Amino acid sequence: MEMLQYSLRKLLAGIPLILGVTLVSFLLMVYFGPDQTYTLLGKNPTPEQIAEVRAQLGYDQPFVTRYAGYLRELATLDFGSSHSTGEPVSALLGRTAPVSLALVAPGFVLGNVLAILLALLAAHHRSRWPDKAIMGLAVVGMSISFLIVIVAFQIVFSSASGLNMFPVRGWGASSLREYLHFVTVPTLAIVFVSLGYNTRFYRSVIVEEMTRDHVRTARAFGTPPARLMLRNVLANCLIPIVTRIVFSIPLIAISGSLIVESYFGIPGIGKATYDAIMVGDQPVLKAVVGLTAVLFVLAQLFVDILYRAVDPRVSLQ
Amino acid sequence: MSAPLLSVRDLVIEFTTEQGVVRAVDGISFDVFPNETVGLVGESGCGKTVTGLSILGLVPRPPGRIAGGRIEFEGRDLVGLDESELRAIRGRDIAMIFQEPMTALNPVFTVGSQMTDVLRRYKGLSRRQARAAAIELLARVGIPAPDRRVDEYPHQLSGGMRQRVVIAMALSCDPKLIVADEPTTALDVTTQAQVLEQLVRLQEEFRMAMILVTHDLGVIAEACDRAMVMYCGRIVEQAPIEELFARPRHPYSAGLLASIPARVDDERRELPVIPGMVPDLLHLPPGCRFADRCGRRLARCDVEQPGLAPAGESRVACFNPVETPR
Repeated sequence: MEMLQYSLRKLLAGIPLILGVTLVSFLLMVYFGPDQTYTLLGKNPTPEQIAEVRAQLGYDQPFVTRYAGYLRELATLDFGSSHSTGEPVSALLGRTAPVSLALVAPGFVLGNVLAILLALLAAHHRSRWPDKAIMGLAVVGMSISFLIVIVAFQIVFSSASGLNMFPVRGWGASSLREYLHFVTVPTLAIVFVSLGYNTRFYRSVIVEEMTRDHVRTARAFGTPPARLMLRNVLANCLIPIVTRIVFSIPLIAISGSLIVESYFGIPGIGKATYDAIMVGDQPVLKAVVGLTAVLFVLAQLFVDILYRAVDPRVSLQ
Repeated sequence: MSAPLLSVRDLVIEFTTEQGVVRAVDGISFDVFPNETVGLVGESGCGKTVTGLSILGLVPRPPGRIAGGRIEFEGRDLVGLDESELRAIRGRDIAMIFQEPMTALNPVFTVGSQMTDVLRRYKGLSRRQARAAAIELLARVGIPAPDRRVDEYPHQLSGGMRQRVVIAMALSCDPKLIVADEPTTALDVTTQAQVLEQLVRLQEEFRMAMILVTHDLGVIAEACDRAMVMYCGRIVEQAPIEELFARPRHPYSAGLLASIPARVDDERRELPVIPGMVPDLLHLPPGCRFADRCGRRLARCDVEQPGLAPAGESRVACFNPVETPR
């Protein structure tokens, strides 16, 4: 009951955020985004044809009407059809979102789990050589551009001059074998790029927790190191860790995979968004922008509820 | 007298700071015998807490390190043992009670979970046995409704309760020695008295030795058999408790005792204070460290460091100790 009330309150509080985000992005879309009229009409259209197409696209309506329409679409989750392909937006999202999720999820999970393990190791050996080695490598990982990592991995794993074990481009997930075939190299690239940032962040959180009195108490009662690091250190710094992980989900789910998808030729939501931006396909953009904002509000709610689960001192009031 | 349980010899503990290496503890020696309570008194920064931590190998390293001396527990030198050897002693042979009950317990686990963790590790109890043992221990340290409290989180308990939980944890494996670092300082006055009383009673009941680290002479008077007065990383006086209070021999001890407000004294005279400041550990005088603040200073005090020498029933590090007629 408490949980339900709290969730409702949080969701209501999220409405201004959604309104703000959609208003600003819709303003940009309408007044500064590409206009599809001439793309659709071809050469030498008559003024009547232009007016007709603009009416079809809804460009002739005043801004307020169009924005209200957008909000109605967001509330009903019905964004109409893509202006460039005619495919219903819901079908487009239903087709591309699972691909993106399947593409990014392994890298995201591995990137965080490995980072936490490395951070625990580094923090445990603070300012001795394992710490210095891990932190040094983290800086190296952070300093190399994502694009270079992708290209380098493609050369190493997917080209005739390298291992030539995986495809450079494409996607398929009809069997586990096929899925692994296509997902491995992108995953390695994602892990490589996120590992440095994640490890540095988690290490600083963990080192901070290690200076706490209760950790000293646990040591004074003979707690073995592995148990100490998990029960007294990691369990106590879950709040910042959970926050970081959950809030990065909306980002990577929608836009984070854009670069990976375009370099590996994968038909995910990032690629679809990129195409929609290039041609000014407003129904698709409206859907992506609106849903990202909604996802953020949901992530915020989810994080707050998780806090309650990881720290008994937090109450949902 | 029987063999000492703990025997500290010429212990030196150094800390590396940005300004240089600081000797927080400079060559102290003392013994603790079975079943006795020894007080370690002195003002903040005199090295008493670090001494307590060093016995369990808990001096934070870096920046701290034990630079010399021995800490023999039952004849075995603890200095230089590695972490796993120290771990086998911590909590089981030697337990520690900390100054800050508010932060000394892990906030995300229940009291019972933290207690059973220790009990199961050292006593090999099953989950259920450990829980029963934890409840019994909580009852023995005077926590009401222990079967309910055992499932509560530290933030649901008061400071006094939390300190009792830490005490219960410390007792749980029948240690031979307890190091209590300012166990009552963070509590309010009424709770202080109760917790201290309990601690003294349990120390007798469990037949343990205890090192009571405190700046509070009242606590020492109530709980200890013997006391050591520390000043600037050195022990300046060691004496049985009645002797220390009746006939303090070091001018610093005498000063400390004189600055306790007397209850019966209704004249509202100003409390005597020890003039001057504790010297900076980075710039210690070549002679006696108390010389600058001492009313009984001799020429010799500025050039030579006094060592502990027997004086009556006490041992005192002073060239011109206070003489109190019997």
